[in-house]
Amino acid sequence: MSETADTVVLRTRELRKTYGSQAALVRAVDGIELDVASGETVAVMGPSGCGKSTLLHLLGGLDRPTGGEIWLAGRRVDRMSEKALARMRRDAVGFVFQAFHLMDELTAVENVELPALLDGRPPRAARRRAAGLLERVGLADRAGFLPAALSGGQRQRVAIARALANEPLVVLADEPTGNLDSAATVEVLRLFEDLHVAGQTLVIVTHDSRIAATADRMISMRDGAFIDETRLTGGTSGNLAGLAGLEG
Amino acid sequence: MGKVLLICRLAARDLRRRPAQACLLLLVIMAATATLTLGLALRGVASQPYERTRAATNGPDVVATIGTSGQQLSAQVRALLGTPGVTGHGGPYPVASAVVRAGSRTAVAVAEGRDPVPAPVDQPALTQGRWVRPGGVVIERAFADALGVSAGDRITLNGRPFSVAGIAVTAASPPYPDFCEAGCYFSVGNAPGAVTNPPSGLGLIWLTQADARALATGPLAYVLNLTLANPAGAQALATRYDNARAHTDKPVLTSWQDLRAADAFMAQDAQRILMAGSWVLGVLAVATVAVLVAGRMAERTRRVGLLKAVGGTPGLVAAVLLAENLVLALAAAGAGLGAGWLAAPLLTSPGAGLAGTPGAPSLTLPDAGLVVAVALAVALAATLVPAIRAARTSTVSALADAARAPRRRAWVTAASAWLPVPLLLGTRLAARRPRRAALGAASIAVTVTGIVAVLAYHAHAGQQSDAGSGGLPNPLLGHDQQILFVVTAVLGALAGLNAIVTAWATVLDARHSSALARALGATPQQVSAGISVAQVLPALPGAVAGIPLGIGLFAVASSDGG
Amino acid sequence: MQQEVVLALLAKEPSHGYQLRARLRQALGPLGDAMNAGQVYVTLTRLEKAGLVTSEPSPGLPDRPDRKVYELTPTGQQRVTDWLAEVGWPGPAPAEFHLKLVAAASARLADPLTIVDVQRRELFRRLRDAQRAAMDEPDGSDAGLLLEGLVLRLQADLRWLEACERHWTGRKEPR
Repeated sequence: MSETADTVVLRTRELRKTYGSQAALVRAVDGIELDVASGETVAVMGPSGCGKSTLLHLLGGLDRPTGGEIWLAGRRVDRMSEKALARMRRDAVGFVFQAFHLMDELTAVENVELPALLDGRPPRAARRRAAGLLERVGLADRAGFLPAALSGGQRQRVAIARALANEPLVVLADEPTGNLDSAATVEVLRLFEDLHVAGQTLVIVTHDSRIAATADRMISMRDGAFIDETRLTGGTSGNLAGLAGLEG
Repeated sequence: MGKVLLICRLAARDLRRRPAQACLLLLVIMAATATLTLGLALRGVASQPYERTRAATNGPDVVATIGTSGQQLSAQVRALLGTPGVTGHGGPYPVASAVVRAGSRTAVAVAEGRDPVPAPVDQPALTQGRWVRPGGVVIERAFADALGVSAGDRITLNGRPFSVAGIAVTAASPPYPDFCEAGCYFSVGNAPGAVTNPPSGLGLIWLTQADARALATGPLAYVLNLTLANPAGAQALATRYDNARAHTDKPVLTSWQDLRAADAFMAQDAQRILMAGSWVLGVLAVATVAVLVAGRMAERTRRVGLLKAVGGTPGLVAAVLLAENLVLALAAAGAGLGAGWLAAPLLTSPGAGLAGTPGAPSLTLPDAGLVVAVALAVALAATLVPAIRAARTSTVSALADAARAPRRRAWVTAASAWLPVPLLLGTRLAARRPRRAALGAASIAVTVTGIVAVLAYHAHAGQQSDAGSGGLPNPLLGHDQQILFVVTAVLGALAGLNAIVTAWATVLDARHSSALARALGATPQQVSAGISVAQVLPALPGAVAGIPLGIGLFAVASSDGG
Repeated sequence: MQQEVVLALLAKEPSHGYQLRARLRQALGPLGDAMNAGQVYVTLTRLEKAGLVTSEPSPGLPDRPDRKVYELTPTGQQRVTDWLAEVGWPGPAPAEFHLKLVAAASARLADPLTIVDVQRRELFRRLRDAQRAAMDEPDGSDAGLLLEGLVLRLQADLRWLEACERHWTGRKEPR
């Protein structure tokens, strides 16, 4: 994979999130320093309870940090008002959740055009773009279906299309394949690969190594802090046949 | 543009998904708005027919009742006619008292002697039959209804037989039974003098002057109708005359404004009942809607989190929550306006004494606007707090689908451990949602308040009708009771709806805990009893509080005028 | 190249050497490409020596291994049948790696955690490559299935390595 461009899309400094009071203080996120370049895919792995989901929520403006700074495309996020955060979530960030979180009473295409409508786009343009995105994720024939009529993998793909609705700077995915079986996981994997090739910046939190293997960088997290970083790009690993037991 | 479309779409879809709840909300608010509409419609009822009657009969601006005769009479009449501003007159007409007997009914009436020729001022308008002739009398319409006679029947006055030549209405005095409401001059075999306690239920009959004089058992009184150049000054004139009176044998002047007020007074009772009723219903409606809205909060929270995660501002989120309920409130306002408008004619019969056909009562645009505003206010009051709270919840916790977790109350848990199982379950269930328990208590309190006020009214009215009008049915009283019945019925219906809504919300909230209790060994009967207890417990203090509140409400409502 | 595999490929009908190779490559996909070309012929020669196959030169073609026609003998047939009925499976966990860690820790030759990390990194890279290869295969291809198996095994190995990391971290920080 080629080296990524040198504009930094997402940056954190000394990011902190704590809960509770003195006796029962929980450091969910403890001094995180992160730089994500444009077009890069970063995977954050760790055991459950290590704070990776909290980190993602902070990055996406869904939660407020207790300390530290978050910079998104040059703007400071941690100090924004609720309204400005909402705007940011519309324009700059696309979120993909483990539980999909689609609106049950809207069809697939209506779900995908939701962020565009929130942004004030004219309904027709929003609908066109939504239909195009659904085609991109391979669900053009399911545009008029309700989420209840879609499989888990299809729902997650709709959610990914929704995250792309307003051409976000970065897509944040929280355990995107957590609720999916292996076949659906492959569908989502393919999508993430396509997005990566198209130059989309991705930050994925996962405990599934398959998803992590699609990233350029893989960061291990434990107890709220980064403990290790692996660069996965550059060179192949060598002989696949040997792995399959075909030698000798 | 896109945002408005989004809000509409979400609201429409949500309404379609839960039609039963939408209907409940609609019915609840409709009950309050319909009652309010009735009250407002009735406000306009009495004054309009009075204007019409006045125009149709060429009603007087001032009515002078004179208790002297002979020379003094002429002098006073001359003085009155000479007052500056007086442009025309009718009379003076002799007035005698008479005991009327029609069939089995007996009443006391004032008999006014008139000419067969139409008078220039105050010529009563006939609704049946013909004008007076020798031996033929014309009876005022409300009085005729109470007596149960119509044109062509035979009655006796002071023992003499007469036939009923016709039925008519007039603007010169209030209709039966409030004839003396604007002040009158009455004598039955006594020396003439102003009466301090006229018996209620005095009727009005017209006959020829000769018949009137023949009927008189004591001295006659006289009635003089005047028109003024400036009708608006009638009240001032009457007051001046009143202040200048040194002796009681000077004329008593009544202005047309006082007469109109007396007419309106009749409808006042009914209107007061309806307004008080509307308040009670309004409060009950707010409580019911609040419980309805709170019951669906858990599901709403997740949707709120989702909207915020996708980029909705807190304002938009609140708008989505409010939009549905406001739309329903508007629909309920419309339905209530329609229902009230259709029902109002059924309740406007005490215009009987006035030349008003029981047609469409007047509903001005400001009235309609008020009803709509009230409906919106009810929906807003009930939805505002949950909407604001939802908009301010952190997005993350909203997505995690935590319905607002019930707060732990250690003392309740500890105390209820001593109670038998159903009470234990019920107490803990009720303590999980103190706000809903409070709303339940308030609803019961309001309902009991209404019921107690109604009972107090009945007791009071019973006393009143005993001090009665010689056994004739008092049309006013019957009419008021009719209205009260309607209000009570609506209150009962709304209270029923409230009970259903509260029960539904309780069961919904208790699903998880009751299933858990069953899994741990409680019997289904214990669980059902527990859920019932959870609702009854808050109702008890509410019912107790409602009794003094109801008495207070009745006192306040009837204190403006009795 | 497992002998039984080549035998099984001959079970359908006698084939030329190059036909066998083609069938293998079709079944293995990109893994087959990386295979040593000569492997097949070496195996065939061994099988012939063991009496499980016979070979005949094709008429009118030079006497080269890829042009010979190979055929199963009855013994070879039997061998195939037996092989198909076997239920053996490759070993569950890399005992060698495990012993590596234990030895390093006890003799203080190296930090076990470092060994684990290095291995993890390597496996991740392999996982990435296998995954890419799997996704390049058309849906439903036989080779795709093989690659899927590879990916899942690597995933399982990575999970074991995570467990190793937790275990050896705990060893390091006695509570």
